[in-house]
Amino acid sequence: MIRSDARLKARGALEFGVDLDAPGALHGVLIRSPVAHGRLRRVDLDRVRSAPGVVCAIGHAELAELLPSGRGATAHPAFPAAELRYRGEPIAAVAARSLAEARWAAARAHLEIEPLPIFAQIEDVFPDWPGAGEGESEHVNAHVLARQGDVEGAFARADRVVRGKYRTAGIVQMPLEPHACLARVDGETWHVQSSTQSPFGAREDTSAILGIPEEQVVVEASWVGGGFGGKGAGLLEPYALLLAAAARRPVKLQLSYAEEFELSRSTLPSIIWVESALAGDRILGRRVRLLLDTGASLPGRDFATGYAIGFIAGPYRIGAVELEGYAVKTNKPPFGPHRAPFAPQCVFAGESHTDEIARAAGWDPLEFRERTGWREGDETPLGQKVGPFGLQEALERARAIRERWKKELPAGTGLGLAVGFWSTGTSAGGEVLLRLTPSELVVETVEAEIGSGSVIRGLVAVAEEVTGLPREAIRIGRTDTARGPYDAGVYGSRTLGALGNAVGDAGTKLLQELARRIPGRGELRLEVIGGSCVAVRNGSRVTVASLLTDSERATGGVLARGRHYGRGGEILAERVLTGGFYAYTDFTAAVHLAAVSVDRETGQVRVLRYAAIADAGRVVDPPTYRAQVEGGVAMGLGEALTEETLWNASAELQNPGLLDYRVPTILEVPPIEVEVVEGFLGAGPGGAKGGGEPPVIPVPGAVANAVADATGARVRELPLTPERVARALKLL
Amino acid sequence: MQLLAPTRAEEAIAALLDGPEGRVAVLAGGTDLLLDLDEGKSSPEVLLSLHRLPWRELTWEAERLEIGATLPLAQLEQDPELARRIPGLHEAVGAIGGVALRHQATLGGNLVRASPVSDLIPILLALECEVGLLGSGGERSLPLEQFLLGPRRTALQRGELVRRVWVPALPSAFRWQRVRPANDVSQISVAVAFAPKEERWRIATAGVAPLARRAKAAEAILRGPSPGEEAIAAAGASAAEEAEVRQDRRATDAYRRHLLRTLVLRAIRAVATGVGGQPA
Ligand SMILES: Cc1cc2nc3c(=O)[nH]c(=O)nc-3n(C[C@H](O)[C@H](O)[C@H](O)COP(=O)(O)OP(=O)(O)OC[C@H]3O[C@@H](n4cnc5c(N)ncnc54)[C@H](O)[C@@H]3O)c2cc1C
Repeated sequence: MIRSDARLKARGALEFGVDLDAPGALHGVLIRSPVAHGRLRRVDLDRVRSAPGVVCAIGHAELAELLPSGRGATAHPAFPAAELRYRGEPIAAVAARSLAEARWAAARAHLEIEPLPIFAQIEDVFPDWPGAGEGESEHVNAHVLARQGDVEGAFARADRVVRGKYRTAGIVQMPLEPHACLARVDGETWHVQSSTQSPFGAREDTSAILGIPEEQVVVEASWVGGGFGGKGAGLLEPYALLLAAAARRPVKLQLSYAEEFELSRSTLPSIIWVESALAGDRILGRRVRLLLDTGASLPGRDFATGYAIGFIAGPYRIGAVELEGYAVKTNKPPFGPHRAPFAPQCVFAGESHTDEIARAAGWDPLEFRERTGWREGDETPLGQKVGPFGLQEALERARAIRERWKKELPAGTGLGLAVGFWSTGTSAGGEVLLRLTPSELVVETVEAEIGSGSVIRGLVAVAEEVTGLPREAIRIGRTDTARGPYDAGVYGSRTLGALGNAVGDAGTKLLQELARRIPGRGELRLEVIGGSCVAVRNGSRVTVASLLTDSERATGGVLARGRHYGRGGEILAERVLTGGFYAYTDFTAAVHLAAVSVDRETGQVRVLRYAAIADAGRVVDPPTYRAQVEGGVAMGLGEALTEETLWNASAELQNPGLLDYRVPTILEVPPIEVEVVEGFLGAGPGGAKGGGEPPVIPVPGAVANAVADATGARVRELPLTPERVARALKLL
Repeated sequence: MQLLAPTRAEEAIAALLDGPEGRVAVLAGGTDLLLDLDEGKSSPEVLLSLHRLPWRELTWEAERLEIGATLPLAQLEQDPELARRIPGLHEAVGAIGGVALRHQATLGGNLVRASPVSDLIPILLALECEVGLLGSGGERSLPLEQFLLGPRRTALQRGELVRRVWVPALPSAFRWQRVRPANDVSQISVAVAFAPKEERWRIATAGVAPLARRAKAAEAILRGPSPGEEAIAAAGASAAEEAEVRQDRRATDAYRRHLLRTLVLRAIRAVATGVGGQPA
C-alpha cells in the first residue's frame, strides 16, 4: 500500500512552505537581538535601507503607520519597544529582492543596546528548590500546586523513603523543513500561506500581535515538512505580513536552520525531584517538584508545568500525592511544545524513580508496575476516574517479549522497561465539510498534512469506513481560514480523534441525506462504478450524479458538515491549590522495553533492540499507526541519548546546527518491535486513541533503566551521553 | 565568483598562480569548503575545482599505497586489499561521517583542512606517510608531520596543491569515541601502527590541542611486537598524560584524558593481537 502523497514527496513535487513563491515576491530576513537581555536605546535602519536590493526595513517605530490606526499598540507587539528578553528576538525586519541581499542588509542594522543582567539557567533564579516565600519571584511565569491526601502523614508512616533528583536537557523539534511563509496584504485582508500545524492558531496569534481583527487575517496552510509541535502557533506570519504591508508586495520569510534552533519554541531544561514514601510494596505517598525553564515565555502561556507534572505521579496507585512546580523565567528563547510536550522528560524522572524503588527492594520492576499500575476505575491524584486503559495488557505483552529477549540476547545486555501515559488533545473541537460529487468525496479542512499521515491517510480511512467508498475516490481538499470550517490544529495526537470524529459525523449525515432521496429502507452505502460514485440501498444502485439537486450541481456536490465537540474529564477543584492543572480526555498507555549494551570503559550506550507496545484503542490504519510508533521511538532515542541544546552563561545557544545538536541517524535506530493492544477505547472514531505522541514518551526512561540494568549505575540526567554514563560508572 | 575546472595539472597550477593572491579557493569534495562559503568564512573570487584532474590513483606498491589527492574516501574504503594491508586506515576511513559524505570527501581535502578533530590525520601520522606536493617547479614530498603546521595551516606554498599521499602498509589500528556514532565529531581518536623492521610502535592522537600529534613518550615505552599488558597500560597512561586536552562543548578534559588512556590501550592491543597474537 502506497500513501497518496508518497510518490509526490519522493519526486519533490509537493509545495511545502519553503517552496512557496509568488511573482515579484521579496525575501524577508529578521534582524535579531545579539544579546539575551537588554534595553533597546536606538534602532537605526538607515544603512539597511540603503543597501542594494532592499525594498523596506521596519522596526517598532514603523508599526503604528503600518497597522490600522491605534491597533499597533498590542500587549506584545511584533517588535519590542524597549526590553529585549532573549537572544535572537526579532527587533526589526528587512525585505529585499533576493535572500542574499536581505541577509547582507540585515547585518548592517545599527543597534544600541544597554545590557541588562542575564538569567541564563534555572539555577540563576533558584539555586535550589525555593523555600517558603522564595517562589514569589518576578522570575516565575507560573506556580502550580496540587495535593491529594495526607502527604506528610504518608512520609511519617513510611518504612522506607526513596528520593531522586533528575535533570533534563533542552531539545528542539528539528523538522526537516524550517518555518516558512509567504504573505501579502490585499486591501483590508492580511493573507498568509504558511507551513503551519494550526491555521486557526496562527490566525489568532497573528491577530493578537498585530491588533487586526481575526476575520481580516486569512491563513492558508501549505504542505508541512514536519512540525513536531514547533509549528503550532503563529511565529513568522506577523513579520511577513508587516513586511508585505510595508513593501506592498508579497514577501517570503523563512528561517535558516540556525534560526530555527533559536526561534522555534522548543523544550528547555528542567530539574525534577521525586520522593516516595513506601510501606512494603505500597506507595503511601509521593512528592514531585519541578523547576521548568520556560525561557522568555510570556506569562499565562504556560501549560506544560501543570500538565506534564502529573505524569510523574501516574499511572500508579499512590496513597497521597503532592505536585508542585514553577515555570521559571530565564533569558532563553520562549518555551514551546515538542511532541508530547515535556512528557518524555517527566516520565524519564518518574520511571527512573519507579525502577529505583523496585531495584532497591529487589523486586522485578515489571511486576511492581503490574501491582501498582492503574486499572480502569482507579482515581488520578486530581480525582479523575481512569477510563479504559490498556496498561495491564501491555505489561503482559512486555513480559513475553522480555522473556524471549533474555534467551536471545547475550549476557550483560541491559533490559529496561518504562511506562508512559498520555491523554490526547481531543478536548479541542473541530469541524470538517464533506463534499460528495458525482465522481469523488472531498474532505474539506484547513489542516495540512504534516507528515504523520493523520490527515491524508487517517481522515481518508475514517471516510472510507463510514461511506464505503474506496480510498482512491476520497481526497483531502485543503482550504483557508476564510472559507474553511474551524479546527484547533494538528497537534496533541488529536487529528484522527477530533477531526476523525468530525468526518464520521459528516459522513453519517451525508448518508442520511442521500437516504432521504432514495426510497426504501435498509443501510445506504457508497461505491464507485466506472469512475462514478453510486449509492447502494437494498441492492439497487443510483448514481450520485442523478441524486444532485440543481443547486448542488452548480456548487459541486452534496455537502455535509461534521463536528467534533471537544470534551475532557473533570478534576476535583479542591485538590488544586494554585495554578492550572488539566483533566485527561482519554487514557493511553505506552509500555516500552529497551535492550542495551554499555561499554564499561567509555560509557557508550548502544541500543540493540527496542519494543513498543501501544494502547491504541482501535487501529484505524495499521501501516500509518506503526510508522508513528517507529518514528516516535527514533525521536525518543535522540532525547534519551544524544540531543541537547547547550547554553552558555549569556544564554547563548552553543550548538545551533545539526553538527553538534545530534539527532539520531538510521545507524542509531535499532530494530523496533511494535505491538498493539486494542479494545480499551478512547475518544476517537470507533474508540481510536491518538498515536502520534505516546510512542515518544517512555523512551528516555526505558533507555535509562536499561543502562542501570546493564551496569548498576543510574544516570539521572538526560541525555545519557557517553560522558554522563562514564561518570555514573565512576570512571572519571 | 568564477568556477574553473581544469583537466590538466599545469592549468590548475597556473590558475593558482595567475589568480588574485589569496582569492583562489581550491575545491575538492567541497565538504569543508562549501560550509566555509556558506558561513562567509571564505569569499573567493575564483573557485578552482580539481574534479576533472586524473588524480584518483589507488595504487598498491610493494610496501605502500599511493592515494591520489582527489580520490573519494568511499573508493578507498571499498578497496579489497585495504582492510588486510593497512587495517588502521580502513577503520579510520570507515569512521568518517556517513556513507554519503564519504562518496564526496577526499583525502587531500582532509589533510589541507588540518582539523584538530580529523579522523584521518592520526592514522596517517602513525603510519608516517609522505605527502606529494605539486607546484610549477614539479613535485616535492614531505613527511606528513612536517606538512602539518597547525589547525588549517600546512606547508603548502603559493601555487602548490596536494597531489598524492604515500601510505606505508603496516599493522595498525584506529579507535574513536563520539557522542553519536555516525556523522559526529570524534571526542578523541587514536591511531597505532607497528613498524616490524624497526620494531617501533607509533601512536598518534586527535581531539587534542592544537592538532593531532604523536605521543612519543608513550611510544618509547613499547618494545617488540607483543609488548605485554603492563607496558601497554603504561603507554596508555603516558599518552593521556602528555596530551594537551581541551574542555569544550563536546567533552570535558577529564573525559578526554580518560578516553585517551582507554583507546590507546585498545588500539595497541588490537595491533599486538594482529602481529604477535594475544598480548600477554
Ligand atoms: C557531515 C560531515 C561529517 C564529517 N565527518 C568527518 C569525520 O568523521 N572525520 C573527519 O576527519 N572529517 C569529517 N568531516 C570533514 C570533511 O569531510 C573532511 O575533512 C574531508 O575529507 C574534506 O575533503 P573534501 O574533499 O570535501 O575537502 P574540500 O572541502 O573540498 O576542501 C577542504 C580544504 O582543503 C583544500 N583542498 C582540498 N583539496 C586540496 C588539494 N588537493 N590541494 C590543496 N588544497 C586542497 C580546500 O581548498 C579547502 O580549504 C565531516 C564533514 C561533514 C560535512
